[in-house]
Formats: sequence, structure tokens, C-alpha cells
Amino acid sequence: MMDALLDILRASGADGWEVTDTATEKWEFYFIRHRLDQNRASQVQKTKVKVYRLSEDQQFLGSATGEIAPTATRAEAEQTVTRLLEQAALVKNPAYTLRAPAQAPADAGEQVDVAQVARDFIQVMQELPETETEDINSYEIFASFVNQRFISSTGIDVTSVYPSSMIEVVVNARKEGHEIELYRNYTSGTCDRQMLKENLAETLRISRDRLHTVPTPALGKADLVLSNAAAVDVYDWFISRMSAAMKYQGLSDWEIGQSVCEGEGGSKLTIRAVKHLKNSSRNAAYDAEGAPIRDLTLIDHGVAKNWWGSRQFTQYLKIEDAFIAGNFDVSGEGEAEEALRTGKYLEVLDFSDFQVDALTGDIAGEIRLGYWHDGEQVQIVSGGSVSGNMRKLSGVLRFSTATRQYDQYLIPHITRLPGVTITGGAEE
Amino acid sequence: MLKAPFSAYLTGIEPGLRRLVELLGSHYDYVSILATDSVGFSMGIGQRAKAVKNETMTTERGQVVRVHRNGLYSEYAFNAFEPEKSEEKAAEILKALDAQLMVLKATGSQVYDTAALPDEPCELTAEFDCEILPENCDQKQLIERLTALSNAGMARGKDMLDCRVSFQSTHISKLFLTANRHMRQSYVYSEGAILPIAMREGKNALSYESASGRKGIELLDELEGKLDSALTAVEDCLRADHIEPGEYDIITSPEVSGLIAHEAFGHGVEMDMFVKGRALGADYIGKRVGSDLVTMHEGATCAVDVTSYAFDDEGTLAGDVIEIENGILRTGICDALSALRLGTAATGNGKRENYAHKVYTRMTNTIFDSGHATLEEMIASVQHGYLLRGMQSGMEDPKHWGIQCIIERGYEIVDGKLTGKVVSPIVMTGYVPDLLGSVSMASGDREVFGSGGCGKGYKEWVKVSDGGPYLKARAHLG
Repeated sequence: MMDALLDILRASGADGWEVTDTATEKWEFYFIRHRLDQNRASQVQKTKVKVYRLSEDQQFLGSATGEIAPTATRAEAEQTVTRLLEQAALVKNPAYTLRAPAQAPADAGEQVDVAQVARDFIQVMQELPETETEDINSYEIFASFVNQRFISSTGIDVTSVYPSSMIEVVVNARKEGHEIELYRNYTSGTCDRQMLKENLAETLRISRDRLHTVPTPALGKADLVLSNAAAVDVYDWFISRMSAAMKYQGLSDWEIGQSVCEGEGGSKLTIRAVKHLKNSSRNAAYDAEGAPIRDLTLIDHGVAKNWWGSRQFTQYLKIEDAFIAGNFDVSGEGEAEEALRTGKYLEVLDFSDFQVDALTGDIAGEIRLGYWHDGEQVQIVSGGSVSGNMRKLSGVLRFSTATRQYDQYLIPHITRLPGVTITGGAEE
Repeated sequence: MLKAPFSAYLTGIEPGLRRLVELLGSHYDYVSILATDSVGFSMGIGQRAKAVKNETMTTERGQVVRVHRNGLYSEYAFNAFEPEKSEEKAAEILKALDAQLMVLKATGSQVYDTAALPDEPCELTAEFDCEILPENCDQKQLIERLTALSNAGMARGKDMLDCRVSFQSTHISKLFLTANRHMRQSYVYSEGAILPIAMREGKNALSYESASGRKGIELLDELEGKLDSALTAVEDCLRADHIEPGEYDIITSPEVSGLIAHEAFGHGVEMDMFVKGRALGADYIGKRVGSDLVTMHEGATCAVDVTSYAFDDEGTLAGDVIEIENGILRTGICDALSALRLGTAATGNGKRENYAHKVYTRMTNTIFDSGHATLEEMIASVQHGYLLRGMQSGMEDPKHWGIQCIIERGYEIVDGKLTGKVVSPIVMTGYVPDLLGSVSMASGDREVFGSGGCGKGYKEWVKVSDGGPYLKARAHLG
């Protein structure tokens, strides 16, 4: 079908086109208390087509996207392409040029056996240090191997192969008829047995603390310490605001060469887009538009350096060699962890859902398990919420030199946000 | 009004799928196939970027086979089915699932032993009404109307960065087959949203007004009528202060009531969570969980919105379940496998993100019943509190009955009157029985909203709708 589709596109009269052909082999296993609830396998191929039309005065370039089913007939493919051409002519975006082929080092990608990846996950889950009072409630294993080919009218024809996996785990702890749960979700390339074992052993250990919480005190303003995946959302706010799409659309007011941190006293932040992070699920050689991925500094010691993003929006910012970044490395002028764990602070290890709004910078999350360090004692707390705004916190944010990886993000192990609003929790 | 026609593609491959059921039936003691062919489009129009895609959250074409043998359920999903090659597909499925069994054997994994699903005969074809199908609409005119709406927002709003307008419409077709069940359904749902984005003195704000329904392109008329309220909302966000954290009397708008219904007890009584022992609700059936004013329905037939189907993804007919009746928790909702394991009846709530995803117990329409008060009476009854409008997100906690709702705006009420002061955003937290137990007034009207998606944890996104009347309650706001 691919050859026929390319013939149709070449003869279509389109001013440009792109085809993304993705084959995904996936194995899934669902367990309830180590008993297999269900096993699933899938073999799915998706062929997405994007067609471009330039306006007569060449001021606008429109596009439309659609999918060609693997079982589509030639007539069906022709019908889809015709419809896309009609739709693309209706879309009036300022004109930009499509990406041309780029020289890039050969990258064979990472071949994996999904059966082995799935088996590794199952075995790790069987080897955890469960006890009578802290154990695994349920887990869901997803192991995938992706083969993605990108072809364009400008001559790009590149293929990325990579593994992508995920495991969702629910941990229980119980005492005297009272049972609690903690939820964890890990995305990665393949199964990182050591990381998973260590992290889940730690989760089992802290789960018993959830049984002994008191309502979070109404602290007013306090320092918030994050040492878990919630911190990714904090750094993702910086990454989002360095995207060309946000800049072009006026949603980021940052400027290249200027500080991105308001206020004083915080650690100077450096964020790099990186081509490869060990066992990331985003280690593709090329982005979704066929651009080779490379290392690129986005923010250097608190100063904006480079925008990143799709061809359309980076072209609008007059950038020729940009790409859609997948992996990020956050570092900078960090501190020792001990320095960040001094004085009064609330460390939250489990939120119901911690969020940072990319546009407004508002942060919010309900506390499920936290540790209030009042300078002398430590209280295990639950309930209530944290709130604040990243625009005000960006300049006072502090972080550790030690790092920890969460799939495609390598970030400081400890992040401290001073002056966050803490609402107290209710008695259950 | 016309009937949304069932997919010609599915009709074409049906004989091959029937043959596949027959072939697999000689290897397994239960076989079902769900085949989907759902087409649609989405449009996003802003001042600086525009996009058209022939896909939505629910467009798909593919098949999934479910089989049962020796107490174990297994599934195989694919999208390259050729009806004349059923034998080859059957061999491919057997090979793939047997390879998985080898891994399970090698790891010594035990099976959650479950009986075979009953296969009661059912013959059904349901084609629901629609005025304008997505595949037949005049897309040029549609883009012009969306552009005019965006332009009007820019012209009439203050300090606007953009006024984005989105619209999408999907024509769903699903075929469910077993040895004894032959079920076909097709319907169209659409949704649209207006998102004004503004900036003043370095502060960004956005708001969100939406329309949704089991309707076709005609839904756009409703969306166009919501521009003024969207612009007022973003202006309110711009001038909003931060709330002083504390416990307050609240009046929730129907949209926020719907969010509470969804997060508080919607997720809490998804009975696949009962099977895992992950929901406190299992221990509270027949017990009080809310005030007398709290009655909550859940089901594809209890409202007509984006997920009002005839049967679910397991071939169970849609229903209307009263989950909470006058404050007493009556029952939950259940997919077919969980129902087998719990010894109860499936309720028509077995849903997949798409054919390539597993079935879970999922919500459809989740709605609080109305009361008899007026909004004016409710405001007049509040000494110090907030009228809450606009939902941003929520998160369930079925195990501990915590609740997190992020709400866009709160309008201060002092001594029974709105003061004009606005706070934003607001994190509402609390203990679900306390929150529902504090419901002291409910308005006589109600609305349903279906423009969002719902995840199970942080994945498995499906369409849902929820709503209710204005409710007066007491909650922690921060």
C-alpha cells in the first residue's frame, strides 16, 4: 500500500506532503495480586498523511492530516488524499517552507524483543520485598516495540526504531483493618530492573507511613520540597515556555538572552534537550517531522538560549535547524541535598495529581502523603493542598546537584519551592 | 433528521469476522470480536495558528478479539484484517497468544480464574438520529464560522492574546459479534470549545466554554451562543485574587457539580476497582454517603450526550444505574468480567480507549438529580462563601475517598449577596462523605457537559459526560 500511496501523493498536485508509517508490536499483562487478570497482544499499523497547499499568492500554507487504513484500497486512498487537499486549501497559516533532508550520523536504533521486556517486568514484580502488611495490589505491564518511517515530498526518508514500555503499580499497606494505597506509574524504553526494584521497595517502605498520617496543618506559606515525579512538572513549565509554538503565539513572553527567572535567591537553571538518555522511551533518532534529534541547550544558567519545536513554529521564529525535542536534562547551579533539607519545609511524596499549568504557571495538588519538618520534629501528614505560581517561584527555586531520571527527564533529585501556599487537610 | 448510517466497511468485513469467531471457537470456550470504524474530524482555529485533522479522540478502524480458555481471558488487537483470510488471522492470533502463555509459564504466573462469559442471543441494530453528518458537512463554511467566532472574541474581549475555537465531530460505528450475539450501532457526537486567552500586567489567563451532544455539525449553533460568557469568564480570571485558604460554604455550578459527581463517586463505584480491593465503596453499599438531597445516576441511557450508546464495548446493553439514592449508596457500575468475578450483573459500562486497549469499568453520563431551590435562594442562604464556576480538572481517590477538584473561578458571597470579588484558581479538597453529606440545597434545573475526557489513573482516555444542578455544600478551598 505504501508504494501506491506515494504514487497517489506525487500525482496529487499537493505543494508538499508527509507520510508517517508506524508499526507497533505490543504485549500487555494485567495482574491482580500476582494473579493474571488478562493477557493482551496487539499488532497495529498506522499510516498518517499530511498534505500541504500553498495559497495562490503564496502568503499562506495550509495543511490537513488524515489516516490511511492498512486495508484501504487504492480508490479509498485517493479519496482521502483528495479530501485532505480540499481541507488544506481552507487553512490559512502564514507560509513556511518544509523541512529538507538533513545530514545526520547513522542511528540503527534499539532492537528489542517485547517478550523479553515483558518477562523482565513480570520477574521484577515477583521479586519485591513484600510483607504481610505492605504488598502489591495490582500491576499492568505494557511492552512495545515501535518502528516508525517518515517520508516527505522534500526527499526525507528516515526510520526510527525504539522500545517504549510502561508499568502501573498499586501498593497497599494495612494495619488493624485500615488499608491504604499508593499509585506509581513508570514509563521507560525497556525494563530497568534495578530502578524499578529500588523505587518500589522504597514505595513499599513509605506506604506504611500513609497509615499514620495526621491532617496537614494549615501552614499558610511554607517551603515545598519535591523528590518525586511531581518535580518533572515544575521543570516542564520552563521547557514548555521555551517552545516555539508558545513563543510565536504570544503565550511565552521570554526572550533569547534574557533571564527566565523572576526574583532573586534561587539556583540558576540549565536545561538541555538531549538526543539520548539511557532507557528513555523517547530515544528516537528523528522527530515526528523527520528532523534529526541532537543535543541543544534551551536555558543556560537561567538565561534563555534556544527555542525548540515543530518546523512550522520554528520557521516563524526564523530558525532553520530546530527539532521537536524528546529528552531533557535539567542541571545548573545546584546544591547539596543536605542544604535543601534544612529549616522548615513540607516534603510531599504523594499527590493525588500535581499540576503546573503551562500557560498561567499555576501549580496545584492535593497532598496524599507528606512530611512536615517544623525545624525540630517531623509529622507525617495527608490532606489539604499546595498552590502557587511558577512565575513567582521561578526565581527562588532551588535544587540539588544530584539527579534522578523519570523516563525522558533527567532532573535534580531534590527541588525546593519557597513560599508555596499550603491549605490544611480535613479530618477523615 | 436522519439516521447515522452504519459503516459500509464493517458490513463488508462482517462475514470474515463471523468466520473468525467460528474458527477460534474450536480452540476457546468464549470468543467475541469488537470491530470499529469511526470517522471524524477536528478543527482548531486561533488568530496565529489553524489546524484541520481527520481524527478525534475516538476515530479508529480496527478489531479486537477476546477469547477465554482454562479460566483465562486473552485479547488480540489488529487493524489489517482481510475478510477472505480469516484462517490466516486465526492462526496469527493463536500463535501470538500461545507465545504469551509461554512467558507466563516460564515466570510461573498464576491465573485469576474466571468463568466464561454467558453468550445470550441478541440481535440489535441501532442507528441514532443526527442532522448533519461530519463526513457530509460543508467544511469551508464551518471554518468560516469558527474563524468569525474567533475574530469576534478578539474584537469584543479585553487584553486578548488569542481566542481559540475548536470543533470536532465523530461518526461512531461499532460491530460486536459472538457465536450468539450480533450487535451493530452507529451514532454521531460532536463537541466544541471557546478558549479566550488574555494577558494583563504579565499575568496570563484563559477560560473555557464548551458545547457537546450526541449531535452532528448542528451543535455549532450552540457553541456560537457561548462567546459572551467565555469572554466574561477570562476577564474575571484576569482580575481575580488568590483565595484565602479555608473551609467555606460553596455553591457549585452544574459544571462543577458534574466534576464532583465524576470524581467523588463516579470513579469510586467503578466495580473493577472492587475486584482489586481498591475502592472503599465496596464496604458502603446500603450505607449513607451523602445527605438526603444527593441522588446520583450513571448510565449511557440516563442522558443524551457524547457517550450515550446502545451497547458497550463488551456487547452489554446500555443502562441507567442509580448509584446513590437520597444519600444511600445503592450500587456501582460494572464491566462484564468484573461482574462475573463479583457475582453481579454487568451494567453496560465496559469501555475501551479504542480497539487496541483493554476494557475497564468506565463512566458514561454521571449526573446528580435536581432539587427544588433556586440559585437566588441558595446565594441568599450563604453568609460567607463562594459560587464556584468553571472546571479545570479533577482526580479520583476511590481507596481513601479524598477528592481533588481544580476549579477556575470562585465568586465571593457575603451576607447572602455576591460581592463582585473573584478568586482563581481554586483547589477544592476534602473527604467525599463529608462533602456530599454537607449538601444542603440543590437547584431545580440541571445541565450535562461532555466536552472532556476521563482517564483511569493517568491513562485509558475515554469520552464521558457529567453534570447536575447547582449544589450548596461545604468544602476546603485553597
